[in-house]
Amino acid sequence: MSRFSQLFAPSTVVRAHCDIPCGIYDPAQAQLAARTVARMVELIGQIDASSSAVADRNKFVRCVQVKEQHAELVKREVQVIWSDYFKPEHLVANPDLHTKVWNILKLAGKNKQSIDADAAAQLETAVKEFADIFWSTKK
Amino acid sequence: MIPRSWQAIRSGPWRVAVVEASMRPAIEPGDWLLSDPTVRRWPRRGTVVVFREPGSEILAIKRVAARPGEVVADVPVTDPDSGEERRVTIRLSPDEAWLVGDALDASVDSRRYGPVALDRLVARAWFRYAPVRRIGRLLR
Repeated sequence: MSRFSQLFAPSTVVRAHCDIPCGIYDPAQAQLAARTVARMVELIGQIDASSSAVADRNKFVRCVQVKEQHAELVKREVQVIWSDYFKPEHLVANPDLHTKVWNILKLAGKNKQSIDADAAAQLETAVKEFADIFWSTKK
Repeated sequence: MIPRSWQAIRSGPWRVAVVEASMRPAIEPGDWLLSDPTVRRWPRRGTVVVFREPGSEILAIKRVAARPGEVVADVPVTDPDSGEERRVTIRLSPDEAWLVGDALDASVDSRRYGPVALDRLVARAWFRYAPVRRIGRLLR
């Protein structure tokens, strides 16, 4: 069977997306997405703004596209953990949880609408804080 | 119809591995399937398809429950302003399909994220080639 695996294993994984096994929540995805947004802002900053070269415009468009996708991913990952994982008892230790999530979602939107290194850094910080709260509930 | 370049078709996927359980019992986590990435329209109802979930980059696998132009009845929705739950009827536009997992209680599908546009369709899954004892076509 392992020889078979070597020869025939698929390289593409598809998710029969399911609520039950997704009980394995992890804010790491959101953190990675926020990191990606910040990295894209960095990369965009390195492109010569006055350049009309096709290669530069191509890179710019692709970076903006990835920034958009990953800002959306931050929103979705944070929202799923907030709505599906957190329970009322967690609010006792973290009474401002809802406000924090609200702010993350707004920050993600701001990062879509602008190319702003500060906003990107704020997003990373806010998502890290959210992740810390998540892990604190696991103790 | 969405034109797909030959490059997109060449890059496949022609084989996929399934994780998670929302298509049980027809498809089990760990199954390896042959897929056809040359599909250019939503296939017939009952066909298993691979697609990108709306709003994310997750590559998912579900069954076509309704095709473009068809009507999906009795969909539970929550009014975003009042929080009130209602049931609505949705008419699919010319490029949308309604995709649902077989394990209804567990599946995250169109009932959660709505109709799926044709440009999210990646492939049609048609045959299970592993595990060997379960080799065979995927039935509608």
